Amino acid sequence: MNFTFSPEEERFRSEVRVFLAEKNPNRGEKIGSDIESSLARLPQLLAWNQALYDKHWVGFNWPQRYGGGGGGLIEQMILKEECAKDHAPILGLSYMGLAWVGPGLIKYGTEEQKQRFIPPILKAEEHWCTGYSEPGAGSDLASLQCKAERDGDHYVINGQKIWTSLASWAQWMILLVRTDLSAPKHLGMSCLLVPMDAEGMEVRPIKVMSGETPFAEIFFNDVRVPIENRLGEEGQGWDVTKTALANERSSIAEVTALQHNLEDLKDLARRCRIGGRAAIEDSSVRSRLAKLDCTIEAMRLSGLRFLTKQLRGEPIGAETSVNKLLRAQVEVEMGRLGCDIEGSAGRLLKGPHGMDVGAKWQKHMLGWPTTVIGGGTPNIQKNVIAERILGLPHDV
Amino acid sequence: MDFGFTEEQAQLQSQVRRFVDSECPLARVRELMASSVPVDKGLWEKAAGLGWQALTLPEEHGGLGLAWEDLVVIAEEAGRGLLPLPLVADAAAARLLARLGNPQQCARWLPAIATGDSIATIAMLEDADVYEDRGVSLQASASANGSASLKLNGAKRFVPYAQAADLLLVIAREPEGVSVFAVPADSPGVTIIPLVLVDATQREADVVFNEVSVCDDQRLGRAGAAWAEVARVLDAHAVALSAELVGAADAAVMIATEYAKVRKQFGHTIGRFQGVKHRLAELHVGVESARSLVYYAGWAVDHLEDARMHVSMAKSFASMAADEAGEDCIQIHGAIGYTWECDAQLYYKRGRASRNILGSPEWHSERVLSSQGL
Ligand SMILES: Cc1cc2nc3c(=O)[nH]c(=O)nc-3n(C[C@H](O)[C@H](O)[C@H](O)COP(=O)(O)OP(=O)(O)OC[C@H]3O[C@@H](n4cnc5c(N)ncnc54)[C@H](O)[C@@H]3O)c2cc1C
Repeated sequence: MNFTFSPEEERFRSEVRVFLAEKNPNRGEKIGSDIESSLARLPQLLAWNQALYDKHWVGFNWPQRYGGGGGGLIEQMILKEECAKDHAPILGLSYMGLAWVGPGLIKYGTEEQKQRFIPPILKAEEHWCTGYSEPGAGSDLASLQCKAERDGDHYVINGQKIWTSLASWAQWMILLVRTDLSAPKHLGMSCLLVPMDAEGMEVRPIKVMSGETPFAEIFFNDVRVPIENRLGEEGQGWDVTKTALANERSSIAEVTALQHNLEDLKDLARRCRIGGRAAIEDSSVRSRLAKLDCTIEAMRLSGLRFLTKQLRGEPIGAETSVNKLLRAQVEVEMGRLGCDIEGSAGRLLKGPHGMDVGAKWQKHMLGWPTTVIGGGTPNIQKNVIAERILGLPHDV
Repeated sequence: MDFGFTEEQAQLQSQVRRFVDSECPLARVRELMASSVPVDKGLWEKAAGLGWQALTLPEEHGGLGLAWEDLVVIAEEAGRGLLPLPLVADAAAARLLARLGNPQQCARWLPAIATGDSIATIAMLEDADVYEDRGVSLQASASANGSASLKLNGAKRFVPYAQAADLLLVIAREPEGVSVFAVPADSPGVTIIPLVLVDATQREADVVFNEVSVCDDQRLGRAGAAWAEVARVLDAHAVALSAELVGAADAAVMIATEYAKVRKQFGHTIGRFQGVKHRLAELHVGVESARSLVYYAGWAVDHLEDARMHVSMAKSFASMAADEAGEDCIQIHGAIGYTWECDAQLYYKRGRASRNILGSPEWHSERVLSSQGL
């Protein structure tokens, strides 16, 4: 085992630090990553994206031919880690474009598709949303019903999607539809790239418990898209989707973000009082903080073991579910602990006293389903671990 | 031994259930959440028509003279329906008045509370955020000009339904110790600042006292001698709050269970998957255990010299049950549980936001032992 980095890697780290000192718009401030605060700071964020793009650091390990960085996994990790440590905004604003549409395009896209779609993702000129889930197909995604039928050189789409995050903000959707009703369900699906302004598409925002509308339901009524907009072969949609989801953002940056939140919780515990003394002296607060500390450190180290496997070219499998499951627990507990530390003020939605800036922990308490349910529920992660890693039989 | 509802209690329970179903179903609760009026007058009057505000008040002052365990019956059903009325806070304040007040003071306030014409609440919590003697620092001191009246100066935080109250029972410090003053909410120098809460089915406000004049005859009981009784009444309040939490937890488990029976994934109702089924069973265990502890504590506050341990057992379990049931009600629904339209979020907010009211689960756990001398 060796936890040191090579001189070139350390040089790269210094380069990142110099860059951040100059370009990070969040320097010295803690800024919410919610939609509202991001929209308010759009010009700064676009400038940040441009600076990154000029360095070829958006799409760090994507092919240089399309504007990516062609970089290695270790440097990518260093970059993400340094950015996260410096509280920088995310590495590129086209969130889902970078997370899975781009990787899907690189693996399955035609040359025209790559040239057409990759650069605007890197430059944050086009944003994507993900049309997988349906009212009847959530955990059991493969049972989806939204269909596309061939009509000459077009597909005609009919059906419904739901829980589509950022649908009102995106210009494009990566859509999973059924193209062959007679094939076994995993084999009858295809992936289409659909412009959000296509005729026949209706987007209805859905309000969540915090009062925000982060996602929408989408109705397709004879929406026509040319067959060139299919990603991968007809019937290959499930594979395209699986590769895309396997490219979910590396856990490294996530862990650093969790560490930041934990540090904020510790600060909060120093400032707030429980039972007449500093919350940080309260034995139950201490043991809850320590448990979070251990969990996040375990996640960080598991992430490094996982990265090592990738570097050695070993196949990546269901192991990511371990960290995903822990992440879900950490997210829920952080919101609860933050509000507990604030005591009575923890149940305030707005001022006037005793709360952390921007109602941080209340937002956490009202926002965890995004990470806990949005990327596949904890039960499904447990099934993945039990069935694919431990080899246990399927439920029922 | 007979640890079950009496016939009257069973009738009371179904009466409250019918009331909630017909007068204030969750659709109406949602409307009231958005309303700027802290308490819907019509609803409050209908409840008074059924005698709920009079329930535990002494008969000689217009009450029905029933026991705290009877209020627990109402509170559980009110919690199940997230009924946005200050029934529990009002009853706790009346209990304090009845126990500490002299006959004139009781005669002045209790009949109006019994009919629902006046709403009362206890103003206890301060910046120190502890429900203990040492948490009281609001001062009642002699006026500078030497007149007979005292002045109240200080601030109370998170006073339940203060924005709807006519009468504040202010826990204050005098040189002799802790006293309670009956202060009309519209007294000069009283400022009420409504709070914006995560759980919009409830109301709380800060109350600031700036040179508020009070006379000797507004003090309930002897100067500085009130704390022991205040603590006992806060315990009774905590038990009724716990009953509300048990009702809310039970409702959350029922909603999740019904959903698990109809939602299908992978060709089966999700309630067939042990990950869902066992979780619901565990939640049920939490609710039933809390219910037993709460019912007993409801009896104990009227019958035992020292009910602290039972109160704390009830509050810590009820808080945990409601907190877990609310969260898992969302988890078992999946994405739809996160939406505004789904009732899961209402129960989640109630559970998570109420767990620290009248003492956190940890504070009560600690008191389970300390009240035994450990
Ligand atoms: C904030 C948010 C953002 C989202 N964004 C998107 C998006 O952009 N695009 C998109 O396509 N989707 C999105 N989703 C949808 C998300 O992928 C689904 O919510 C998720 O897959 C679960 O599906 P479901 O909500 O239908 O729940 P269901 O699948 O109905 O699950 C309900 C409950 O049953 C349990 N369950 C189901 N099957 C099993 C089993 N076999 N064993 C044990 N338990 C089981 C689940 O764990 C859960 O507790 C988003 C969701 C959220 C909350």
